[in-house]
Amino acid sequence: MLSKTAAKRFFVVGTALCFGAFFLLTLDTLARIPAQTNQETMTDAVVRGKHLWDTSNCMGCHTLLGEGAYYAPELTKAYSRRGPDFIAAMLRDPEAMYPGQRRMQNYDFDEGQIEDLVAFLEWVGRMDLNGFPAEPDLGEVSVPVTSTDSSVARRSDRPQVFNQMCIACHALGGQGGAVGPALDGVGGRLDADYIKRWLTDPFAIKPNSLMPKLPLSDATIVELVAFLSQLKD
Amino acid sequence: MRYESQRIAWWFFATSMLLLCLQIVYGFIMGFAHMGYDVLHDVIPFHVARATHTNLLVVWLLCGFMGSAYYIVPEEVGRELYSVRLAKWQLGTLVFVGVVALVGFHFQWWEGRKFLEIPRPLDWLVVVNVLAFLWNLTMTMWKSPRMTTTSCVLYFGLLMAALLYLPGMIPTDNQTVDSYWRWWVVHLWVEGVWELIMGGILAYLLIKLTGVDREVIEKWLYVIVGLTFLSGILGTGHHYYYIGAPRYWLMIGGIFSALEPLAFLGMAIYAIAMARRGGRSHPNRNALAWTIGCSIMSFVGAGFLGFAHTLPQVNLYTHGTLVTAMHGHMAFWGAYAMLVFAIIAYALPQLTGRKLYDTPLAAFAFWTSNIGMVAMTLAFAVAGVAQVYLERRMGLDFLAVQEEIEVHFLGLVLAAALFAVGIGAYVLQFWRYGLPVGEVERAAVTGDAEGPAPDAAAAEAGA
Ligand code: HEC
Ligand code: HEC
Ligand code: HEM
Ligand code: HEM
Ligand SMILES: [Fe+2]
Repeated sequence: MLSKTAAKRFFVVGTALCFGAFFLLTLDTLARIPAQTNQETMTDAVVRGKHLWDTSNCMGCHTLLGEGAYYAPELTKAYSRRGPDFIAAMLRDPEAMYPGQRRMQNYDFDEGQIEDLVAFLEWVGRMDLNGFPAEPDLGEVSVPVTSTDSSVARRSDRPQVFNQMCIACHALGGQGGAVGPALDGVGGRLDADYIKRWLTDPFAIKPNSLMPKLPLSDATIVELVAFLSQLKD
Repeated sequence: MRYESQRIAWWFFATSMLLLCLQIVYGFIMGFAHMGYDVLHDVIPFHVARATHTNLLVVWLLCGFMGSAYYIVPEEVGRELYSVRLAKWQLGTLVFVGVVALVGFHFQWWEGRKFLEIPRPLDWLVVVNVLAFLWNLTMTMWKSPRMTTTSCVLYFGLLMAALLYLPGMIPTDNQTVDSYWRWWVVHLWVEGVWELIMGGILAYLLIKLTGVDREVIEKWLYVIVGLTFLSGILGTGHHYYYIGAPRYWLMIGGIFSALEPLAFLGMAIYAIAMARRGGRSHPNRNALAWTIGCSIMSFVGAGFLGFAHTLPQVNLYTHGTLVTAMHGHMAFWGAYAMLVFAIIAYALPQLTGRKLYDTPLAAFAFWTSNIGMVAMTLAFAVAGVAQVYLERRMGLDFLAVQEEIEVHFLGLVLAAALFAVGIGAYVLQFWRYGLPVGEVERAAVTGDAEGPAPDAAAAEAGA
């Protein structure tokens, strides 16, 4: 039968070995992290952004690298998902981008701070995360196979800005936000000129609209109008 | 109670209960926010509520551990505490730092690193405070005629917990490195050295409550804490899968963390086996219920539910979702909250000289809080699995998914109400016991056969 001294030896030796191994792995990991996280591209703006990230406790609502709170969207890929303009608009006034939704703190950041935070999120988004976040693997299956008709544009055929900004509030083909109406068949409902004026300034058409005036260049608007107009039922 | 100075433990336990009640209030604020009623947003936005909720948790548990140590160590080593004044001063300053930190959170003075939100200057005060606590224990043990394995394991756990707070303060600008060190605190605490504290307190309670021979209990204690470190240290890797650390952590973290449930399983088997084996039954059945309950619920919450999302293939999808919150609640409850409840249930009759342990209220508190917590875990589980499925696997928008699962937070709040009733009953019971005016007794009050020379007595009890 196991004696108390043997049990004690098991504890002491086991702990020492494991801690030793953990210590060495830590040294190795710390040596490799700079390459894996592109530390050479960590500019001053990124560092300031990280500091703002911490002192603002964004992690108290959001997750980043999957760590944090489960109240607000995961932000690791926010930069590629929404793009810098959307994020900046969000930080200037969260209410504008997501009216009537779950509320984010309004921080009254100045433009410099917003740039720093955007730079930070951009840097985080480029890390090699061993495959996180995973591509949704059931997504394609859920889209009905019958949707071969050209009216439902595939995700990859859409203008980038559409997938980044508009999808936050509008659904298309069953995916996207629910703040504004779904845009399926919008080209049949609205003419190109109206869409153009709408995108340029929603408030000019409907003063109490919930859709914000988005930071879109003229070229982007042309691209979007062309895309939306061909969405017919 | 055998030593005058053990009385100080009562004040730590009372503080603990108070902070727990406050923690629950903040839990409800977040539960309602998730349901869509973020009515306090302008006063207490979600991130304030969250930082307060989790930090209160850590502080009340630490307070409970300190109280336990002040209660257990004098009895184990056979002498009065080194300094009761230091203990009082230490509790006072701990409460002071805690209150400053919590009020600070409401003015958004914090570090914004999950679980380690306390701002840096206060971190140092915490360190000084814990050093004072450790000094008190060290001197008590140093000057004592004997050491026991139980007290050493408890002491070592507390010492390591204090030391492991330090890596969390290593400055860095790289988010990944920051996170790397943060886990040295968070993971190595709850899945490492806190388990030593747990093992030490459970061993003490089992020795007292079951009357099994100290040698046998302490032998298995070594085996269990051995298993803890064997799996738990390298198991830290389960937090390094997807944060920008090397890929080999998927393998190392996966294998070792998958072994972690063994330590909890061992703890459960150990507690149940010792309770069965115990020749005589201690009249405080309620304390035994909390002790055995702790060992079982920690296996369910930490071991079973931890295992459920610890393999890298699963964690890829569940990482940072409500599934983690499900596990966090049950694990903290089973392993550490119930542990503090167990030692309080055991110590109060001695500290206050009243024997209220087999009242219906005591049993009600045990069952209601546990059933409530199981129901809360289920609500989080349903919400979490739905979130993983809809958001992570089907690719729906975060907010759209949150709207889908709002209804499960109604379930959560209802379950939490039941849980809170149970906690209310426990606190009421605590209140009824009154102040620590119990007499210092040399002889056994409660069938506790261990005399002033514990070694001899323990052997006799085991016979
Ligand atoms: C009180 C909780 C809270 C805090 C604190 C918070 N956010 Fe948010 N954030 C939200 C919520 C909720 C959303 C989802 C959109 C909405 O409903 O407003 C959001 C959305 C966002 C988005 C858009 C994400 C997307 O996918 O559309 C970005 C970017 C963002 N937040 C950045 C930040 C940054 C940077 C900070 C810290 C400076 C921060 N947030 C702090 C709650 C919060
Ligand atoms: C912050 C949320 C939000 C964002 C981002 C947003 N929209 Fe909207 N949108 C709305 C809302 C809300 C309405 C409904 C307007 C109303 O009636 O007030 C709307 C209406 C519209 C309409 C008219 C739809 C109809 O059927 O009447 C079009 C077209 C449109 N949006 C296009 C876009 C495009 C293109 C983008 C991306 C550049 C975009 N929206 C981004 C919220 C948003
Ligand atoms: C009784 C009422 C309670 C309610 C309604 C409640 C609710 C919540 C909510 C909504 C969150 C935040 C999840 C998020 O980020 O979105 C949370 C976090 C947390 N709560 Fe509670 N809670 C309660 C009690 C407790 C108790 C008793 C414990 C400990 C034993 C506890 C431990 C935790 C922990 C550890 C976290 C952080 C979880 C994580 O980050 O994964 N809570 N709680
Ligand atoms: C008493 C012991 C335990 C407690 C109190 C506990 C608590 C927690 C908490 C609070 C978190 C969230 C941490 C954060 O995101 O900052 C967490 C995460 C995690 N825990 Fe535990 N845990 C315990 C034991 C275990 C065990 C034994 C396992 C594995 C078998 C495990 C597996 C995990 C995993 C994989 C995560 C990461 C989840 C994610 O990726 O989001 N835990 N735990
Ligand atoms: Fe862990």
